[in-house]
Amino acid sequence: MKLGPWIGAAVAMFGLAAQAQDNLKRGADIAANGAGDNVPACSGCHAQNGIAGGSGAFPRLAGQSAWYMARQFADYASGARNSALMGPIAKALSAADGAAVAAYYASAKGPFVFNNRADATLIERGRQLARVGDQAKQLAACNNCHGPGGIGGFPAIPFLAGQYADYIALQLQMWKSGSRKDGADSMADIAKRLSDQDMAAVAAYYQQLREAPTQAAK
Amino acid sequence: MAERLKAVDVVTVGVGLTGAILGKELAATGLKVVGLERGPMRDTVPDFQSPAIHDELRYAVRKALTQDNVKEAMTFRNSTGQTALPMRRWQGFMPGNGLGGAAVHWNGLTWRFQPADFVYRTHLEGRYGKGFVDSDLTIQDWGVTYAELEPHYDRFEYLCGTSGKAGNIKGVVQAGGNPFEGPRSREYPTRPMKEPYYGALFRKGAESLGYHPFPSPASTLSEPYTNPEGLSLHQCVFCGFCERFACEHFAKASPQTVILPVALKNPDYELRTGCQVLRVNLDSTGKKSTGVTYVDAAGREYEQPAELVLITAYSLNNVRMLLNSRIGKPYDPVTGEGVVGRNYAFQTMSYASVFYDQDVVINPFMASGASGTVIDDFAGDNFDHKGLGFIGGAYISATMTGGRPIEFHPTPPGTPSWGLGWKQAVARHYNHTVVLTCHGSSHPMRGNCLDLDPTYKDAWGQPLLRVTFDFPQNDVRMSRYVTDKAVGIGRAMGGKIVAGAPRERPYDSTIYQTTHNTGGAIMGNDPTTSAVNRYLQSWDVPNVFVVGASAYPHNASYNPTGTVGALTYWALDAIKNRYLKAPGALVPR
Repeated sequence: MKLGPWIGAAVAMFGLAAQAQDNLKRGADIAANGAGDNVPACSGCHAQNGIAGGSGAFPRLAGQSAWYMARQFADYASGARNSALMGPIAKALSAADGAAVAAYYASAKGPFVFNNRADATLIERGRQLARVGDQAKQLAACNNCHGPGGIGGFPAIPFLAGQYADYIALQLQMWKSGSRKDGADSMADIAKRLSDQDMAAVAAYYQQLREAPTQAAK
Repeated sequence: MAERLKAVDVVTVGVGLTGAILGKELAATGLKVVGLERGPMRDTVPDFQSPAIHDELRYAVRKALTQDNVKEAMTFRNSTGQTALPMRRWQGFMPGNGLGGAAVHWNGLTWRFQPADFVYRTHLEGRYGKGFVDSDLTIQDWGVTYAELEPHYDRFEYLCGTSGKAGNIKGVVQAGGNPFEGPRSREYPTRPMKEPYYGALFRKGAESLGYHPFPSPASTLSEPYTNPEGLSLHQCVFCGFCERFACEHFAKASPQTVILPVALKNPDYELRTGCQVLRVNLDSTGKKSTGVTYVDAAGREYEQPAELVLITAYSLNNVRMLLNSRIGKPYDPVTGEGVVGRNYAFQTMSYASVFYDQDVVINPFMASGASGTVIDDFAGDNFDHKGLGFIGGAYISATMTGGRPIEFHPTPPGTPSWGLGWKQAVARHYNHTVVLTCHGSSHPMRGNCLDLDPTYKDAWGQPLLRVTFDFPQNDVRMSRYVTDKAVGIGRAMGGKIVAGAPRERPYDSTIYQTTHNTGGAIMGNDPTTSAVNRYLQSWDVPNVFVVGASAYPHNASYNPTGTVGALTYWALDAIKNRYLKAPGALVPR
């Protein structure tokens, strides 16, 4: 047996692994320190472990699909996704750095923290929409695309389980009003069928899905 | 003794695609309509939601959405000399059951037939002369023309929101569409679906050979759409679970998504599920129906009197309902006389598998049942048949329908059929193979027919339908010719191995082809060779209409649902605007 090609392949694989490690380091560095004058540290809002502040003003990034996050950078940069905050940052970020940050936060393991929980009736309505849908509104279950338990349909479809309720509800409002237009065409159509109460309900449901049990029991 | 219910104006036997359209429309005119559906009530929410609806074992292998053949099977034989045996599992085709019928588990391919199909014998004899067609083929004209059906095709496509690219609008050929199609009055309601990678490979290969590729016409929608009924469909997400499954996304046109909700809001429309219609009742003259007799889910028997009976079940069951109700003269394959059960046809499917190296990644699971790319160059009579020795043809497509794990196992010729070698080949080829479909026409021949089985009965004691079928030699020759063309495209696509599998005799009812069973209650202008007139009205009992693919005198190169939809609206138009004003035969015998 000739070992040459195998050694070559092993070296190539090691090379790839080393490259991935460098990439993650670069991502972590940008998350912590920013990149140049126009890219502030991501951790300022999203925290270094990717769980953001818990206020819901900023989304949780830890464990999110890297492909999806890189796509958001591209959409912020092009203006397809509109944000006064993220637009200039994404524009200033190179594609390689964007991919590095996305890879870093995809691998981040920040915990799921307990948040103020909405009332049980609202969560139950959210559970119904998320898992079963609503025939009267011709709404399919959110989980059809966002995965069982809302864990995401990676790479293209983000997780919702454990995402902050305020953030989810705001995105739905933006799709409904037309101020968010990127992503799947179907989201606008779906959001238009949701009442404010429905949005609050799905958002509240998904937020509490991955809470640590000890925290939830408090 | 059956309990006699309060009379209504209209009964539909079955609430699938045709029953839902007719029921909704006739109730909207103020008539009291009862829809009788033997299967269960079911709806997108909650019945079709994932992950349960993606259970391939339950739905694709065990066929949970089909007719219950423990209660109601069909028997099958290849020729009249054989003894037919019951099909205890659906393998060759999948008759639907339950609200919405087979239009719940269809792929969404929404084709029109060619103008020539409707004047088939006249057209072929005109182009090739008498004697060109094999003498055992009982093809005939339909009694309706493409031009007459065009507005109804259009209406059906706009009901479904069909995604596609027109190839011919009012006689003007459109770039990017199918240049061979009959003229349309306008563009498709929604844009074509995005082209999958396998479709793009096919497009390049087909173009390099001078063929005319275009996007497959799909009622799995490319974009959100609100239809003229006010119902909205969502965008398809290419999940790969259409055929044999129900759509959880409101993205596939089905009675539940495009029309039933409107019917169900109308107090003049009443849906009764779990109701097995035993027969259409006739008065003492045998020339007028008095309604139907059915058994409900609790086993109670009812007589539902009605002024107008619409037989709107699956095509095969339409024929059985006529036979069990003694409406129309049963067809005799020995003498060639009689009409009910005549001209049963199917589809002549074949395949070419294009195997690539591992650097070509197909991702066949990113698909809808109808997404892909097609050529129509070898369908129907789109090419000169002189010297070829057959009539008909097939469209050739790369429409991969989902690459689901249990049933999609492409392996090149020479692969063992089980064991380690087979497993290795499946792992090697699963993601690097494009399967091309040749979707071929099926011609009726004298011995192929439907009748009542002399031995086997259903759970209600009624004779089962007996299917007698084999491929005519004509269709076998056609399949070889078109499959060769598909192999040529596969080579032009850069396949390392291209394996063609033309259809051969005998037909095997344990091998799936399509659920495109047609004929048996065919339409026409001659009551001695057709069971229904050009408006799908029974020649013998004018207050009975028989609507569906049972009316096709032959099956064309295309998926039949588009034409089922068009004929339904065509029959509706005749019922609403002519029959209701003066009930009676719309065409004199």
